[in-house]
Amino acid sequence: MLELKVLSKHFGGVRAVDDLSLAVEKGQIFGLIGPNGSGKSTTVNLICGVFPVTSGRVLLDGKDITRAQPHQTLAAGIARTFQNIRLFGQLTVWQNLWVAQNGLEDRQRENFLRRWMSGNRRARESVEELLEFSGLADKRDALARNLAFGEQRRLELARALSAKPKLLLLDEPAAGMNLEEVGALDDRLRKIQDRGVTILLVEHVMDLVMGVTDRIAVLNFGKKIAEGTPAEIQDDPAVQEAYLGGAGGRRAAAAG
Amino acid sequence: MEFIDIVLSISDGVLFGTTYALIGIGFTMIFGVMHKINLAYAATSIGGAYVSWAISTLVPLPAILVFLISAIAAGVIGWLVYLCCFRLVPLDTPLTTLLATVGMLIFIDEVVVHETDGMPQPYPAIFDDVFFEFGEFGLRGDLLFIFVLSFAAMLVLLYLLYRTRLGIATRAVAQQPMAAQLCGISIERTNASTFVITGMLGGLAGAMIGASVGVLSPLLTLPVTVKGLIVTVIGGLGSIPGAIIAGLMVGAFENLFLALRGVTERDMYVMLLLFLFLTFRPGGLFHRSALRD
Repeated sequence: MLELKVLSKHFGGVRAVDDLSLAVEKGQIFGLIGPNGSGKSTTVNLICGVFPVTSGRVLLDGKDITRAQPHQTLAAGIARTFQNIRLFGQLTVWQNLWVAQNGLEDRQRENFLRRWMSGNRRARESVEELLEFSGLADKRDALARNLAFGEQRRLELARALSAKPKLLLLDEPAAGMNLEEVGALDDRLRKIQDRGVTILLVEHVMDLVMGVTDRIAVLNFGKKIAEGTPAEIQDDPAVQEAYLGGAGGRRAAAAG
Repeated sequence: MEFIDIVLSISDGVLFGTTYALIGIGFTMIFGVMHKINLAYAATSIGGAYVSWAISTLVPLPAILVFLISAIAAGVIGWLVYLCCFRLVPLDTPLTTLLATVGMLIFIDEVVVHETDGMPQPYPAIFDDVFFEFGEFGLRGDLLFIFVLSFAAMLVLLYLLYRTRLGIATRAVAQQPMAAQLCGISIERTNASTFVITGMLGGLAGAMIGASVGVLSPLLTLPVTVKGLIVTVIGGLGSIPGAIIAGLMVGAFENLFLALRGVTERDMYVMLLLFLFLTFRPGGLFHRSALRD
């Protein structure tokens, strides 16, 4: 469903993403891991059009979206969350989900007049359902910036689901969470998967990645050094080298 | 000078200050949404008033309709300013858009000067023959009307920003442009609608300024630009409540010193007020704004 073909992104002389190719199958939870600075977040930003691509192609269901602007990638069916949470802090929880309904309306070309006549019923019901799903129903009138950290993460996830995406990009959704919250996130990701949404998960929290993903790709210095099932990845010597090899591993990779 | 005269000049100033508040809201909203200064904004407002004047010379119209036409015309001019100075110009170089708006300011001014031979033109007032007396105290009917109309416009704006999807989306863009885009909100459409809405507010303010002075003159653009920017800075960049309070303050201050020191010295004291704010409270009245996070 999502294909990256020899994708590269150079910042000046730095090759943040270097000839990266991978394919995510429909319905998968696909993990993207790697040490800090290995190009995971850059990859996410390339897919959803935040950064222009240096070379290579991004395909969604066979359709080329390499040059698409962020709102166009959303229209194509890709939604995301951010590593550093980016909610609309001065809006309430309800309003955060309410504005995000724009995305779906544009995608499905909802008729403005009919929408208005029905008092935005579809959008209102969708917001209620998302409040329920994220367990934020009792916080609907709270300002987003006053939420607890874990609640903000849940709200951002719910906001990303507003546009009923085909593909969800999650950039370190478990960062800063405690064990209990990670467990709840694990459940929630599986529920999202059950809805037929494909997930690309960038994450450092290994318990979550190894438990929830169907397939994993490992990046180091912008290059893919391994790909396989969680079990295969755990046993891969190149991966262990990248994570544990320290200076030796870095030198070897830099030389390569 | 009697005490009652001071009270009267301050109250007149507060009433007229609502027009400055509207101009300040325009500057501050565009800054809040785009993080850019639109120096052509006051020219947009006066330009709208000129269009309504031009139409009223062709067809006799009641003054209230003239005001309405001014608002609509300024909305259109606002959209054109957006198109020329922001949409078709690269946004990532801050000076380009700033200079483009300066060019637009001069252009609108030149069009007005050309079309009117630089002569001031009479502009209709509303309720200028009404005067409310309360013992020694009194209120001018035309200024009271300006006050009421401005506040009605502000209430409509606040309703728009806080209760409608368009307004909430506008605030979302102001707070997190990237995230807003990834929620399917088109930044270009939001920017354009902000220019149209602020343009309409400005057109209303331009009409009321023309009405209270009694004439429209190309010489109005510069002082209104300066007053609008002062109101924006004193209120706090990006803050709508700040712009409202600062507008009333500047109006009162200006009128008080007009009465105390005469018309030639009036603006000196307004500048002094700005200086005090820049020195002691450079962030303005409201540091954290309503629009921005």
